[in-house]
Amino acid sequence: MAYRIQRIPSAPPSVALAARGLAIVLALVTAGIVLAALGFNPLALGWQVLRTTFGSSYGLEDVGLLVIPLIFTGLAVAVGQKIGAQNIGAEGQFYAGAFAATGVALFVPGPMAVILPLMFVAGAIGGAIWILIPTLARAYADVNELITTLLLNFVATLLVYWVATGPWLDPSGRALATTARLPHEVPEFWGIVHWGLPVAVVVVLLVGALFAFTRWGYEVRIAGSNPQAARYAGMPFRRHLIMVMLLSGAIAGLAGMFEVAGTVHRLQGGISNNFGYLGIMVAVLARASPIGVLPAAALMAIILNSGIVLQTQGITVSTVLAITGLILFYTAIGDELARYRIVRA
Amino acid sequence: MIAPEPPVPVPTRFVPPPGTAPIVQLRGIAKYFPGVIANEDVDLDVMPGEIHALLGENGAGKSTLMNILTGIYQPDAGEIVIDGYPQSFASPVEAIAAGIGMVHQHFKLVKAFTVAENIHLGWSDTPRAVSAAVLERRTAELAQALNLTVDPAARIGELSTGEQQRVEILRVLTRKARVLILDEPTAVLTPAEAHELFRALKDFVARGNAVIFISHKLDEVLEISDRVTVLRGGRKVATEQTAGCTETSLARLMVGREIVLSDMRGRSAGAAPIGAPVMTLEDIRADDGQGHVVLDGLSLVLRAGEILGIAGVAGNGQKELTQVITGMRQAASGRILVDGADFSRAGAAEFADFGVGHIPEDRLHSGLAPSLSITDNAVLREYDRPPLSGGFGFNGRAATALAKDIAEAASVTVPDFGMPVRNLSGGNQQRLVARREMRIASRVLVAAYPSRGLDVGAINMMMRYLVELRDKGVAVLFISEELEELLNLSDRIAVMFHGRVMGVVDTAEADIDTIGLMMGGKRLTDDAKGRGH
Repeated sequence: MAYRIQRIPSAPPSVALAARGLAIVLALVTAGIVLAALGFNPLALGWQVLRTTFGSSYGLEDVGLLVIPLIFTGLAVAVGQKIGAQNIGAEGQFYAGAFAATGVALFVPGPMAVILPLMFVAGAIGGAIWILIPTLARAYADVNELITTLLLNFVATLLVYWVATGPWLDPSGRALATTARLPHEVPEFWGIVHWGLPVAVVVVLLVGALFAFTRWGYEVRIAGSNPQAARYAGMPFRRHLIMVMLLSGAIAGLAGMFEVAGTVHRLQGGISNNFGYLGIMVAVLARASPIGVLPAAALMAIILNSGIVLQTQGITVSTVLAITGLILFYTAIGDELARYRIVRA
Repeated sequence: MIAPEPPVPVPTRFVPPPGTAPIVQLRGIAKYFPGVIANEDVDLDVMPGEIHALLGENGAGKSTLMNILTGIYQPDAGEIVIDGYPQSFASPVEAIAAGIGMVHQHFKLVKAFTVAENIHLGWSDTPRAVSAAVLERRTAELAQALNLTVDPAARIGELSTGEQQRVEILRVLTRKARVLILDEPTAVLTPAEAHELFRALKDFVARGNAVIFISHKLDEVLEISDRVTVLRGGRKVATEQTAGCTETSLARLMVGREIVLSDMRGRSAGAAPIGAPVMTLEDIRADDGQGHVVLDGLSLVLRAGEILGIAGVAGNGQKELTQVITGMRQAASGRILVDGADFSRAGAAEFADFGVGHIPEDRLHSGLAPSLSITDNAVLREYDRPPLSGGFGFNGRAATALAKDIAEAASVTVPDFGMPVRNLSGGNQQRLVARREMRIASRVLVAAYPSRGLDVGAINMMMRYLVELRDKGVAVLFISEELEELLNLSDRIAVMFHGRVMGVVDTAEADIDTIGLMMGGKRLTDDAKGRGH
């Protein structure tokens, strides 16, 4: 009896989900083998990670804090993908948003009830401005946004380093490489977890609803799936592209705003912690679905927190990064393999 | 002006000794794609020393047949016999090893590399460590041995299309090909370049090799080939000695005479009569964005309640015509009048709002968003009006309800409306698009090759759709390569060639031979019947 492998246009959801689960398990097994080879006991480590993360409210609070920027950056990348734009610059927009929000906090006097919303708006505008040039270049000159958004990351990173150690350096002299503590902060609602988390969830739901339940969202979905079809139906592709990319930048900017105003309280170099790049992975795991960003960001936050636990056990940060890379790698393979089935020839 | 070319010098003919097996023999080849018969029961034999033309309209199965011969596709039935021995090719690499090479319509060259580098790319004879000079010298020697002039050091990107084609041919011949397959080679050439190509081909077969020459141009088939095989609808119609053929006889073989589908031109009692002009195109010119003129002073009138057929070989401006009259492409000059109003600068949305439906030629790539759901695709034309949208919102439930209506009208069984539309078969996609467009086509429907890829039953249904619209008083522009379809359905037929209308005939008085000649570039003369424009 001969069998052959057949490719199907799209995987059934149950198979796709199973492939996802298998990818994560395989990544963990692979990591376990590597850890065992390094002389660690992977089972004991695994237990340690689970206990630390889920066994106490401190662990869960840490995860809750990590998930906030991941939701925003993951959503930012996913939004871009809706119209076929690859925003690799969430990292830079994160910095730009943090920078703009810090500027408002440090230099605009006023009560918190006014300044915090103002910081929110400034963060969004900062992120949007940071993606403006790549957006216009893509829309009017067809310049690949993958390169332009990526390169602007380095500019934003260095810009924030410079202001935090130069013009905006804490005048009290107690901090060497950060701004002063911001006079306003996003209030906490559960341990150390601040209101950025519910706001992030609301933003996800709003964006999800925007794509699912508005005429504009429908046009963007069509344009993202096939620009030719959008042209055929008379939809303004360029206008939608510009709006979606700016929205993507603004959301990434919000990640920076909440990180500086809710978690770190000071603007400093390296504040992004690679959240912008991790957002790409979150979006891939979410398959560019806004709602899917929530579980994907949660998974990523758990992995990051596990990494911190592992580091306390003497495992290097590179190993942790390797595990996240493995998950992405196996997921990509799993997504592809889910589209094949074996049939009797 | 280019001086008139001297006649092609005929090299000494190669005459195979009696009893020589054909160099290529195809027996009973069949290839089926879902819902489509690409080839069925095709026999073909090619002798050494012969240029064998493969003639047929687009979609007649020429390319599929050659893709089977070169190992790109596997036949579903039949066998390939090379030099008297049955062979099967799992890939083009195996085919070229057996001496069968193909030059495709779209060249497969690396533009940034030199001619010498392209010739040696992916070739087992290429020396392992070589300098550019050695590669260039080898290339020059090969080119000289094969009598093809190329500059080995030139970069592909700097060469003219004709020169690039010569590099492609050289690349195939250096792999010791004895059978050279050319897919519409002159489509990209100037007359002078074509002339040069013909000379090289005659040289090649004079050495005991063979050429299979795919074309739909009658004049060049007569000029270059020794024998001609005509395909229609995936089947072989005839193989003839070219010497005994004329343009008229070939045109008749190519487009077919037998009428299989019934005549649908008769109108029922309640049908709308042919009325006033709905859309008028005046002297439309357009280019393809790369400087090639694709519409060259085209004028047409679409009347209410009338089906205007567009005949012609694909690639003569039909696609651009559909784009211009649906607002997807702006004409460089000329006017489009819609109900007397100037629509020359209007966009696709304005045409759609006026009531222009459009069944595009390439439905999956221009009429559908393949990765989105059937529902999203079904509502592409009505998402912006109630009940789907009152302005800002988008009502998913109303969208699904509309999608169900459209699928039902199109007789497409859909298990799950959330499934990506690309999971539907080509025929079902086509029916869905057709029904979707009919709903908005209150004034004009543009249907480009609506029956392409459908089986006979589905074609009949599609034709009935068009008749239904005609009887409602809609102006229908019906583009097809199937002459019998055009004759069955159209009230008038316009023939396009090189972006122009060669002539418009009333179908009642149409002469199939005249249409065939116009499709080959002959202008309708005054003595021809049914002069319409």
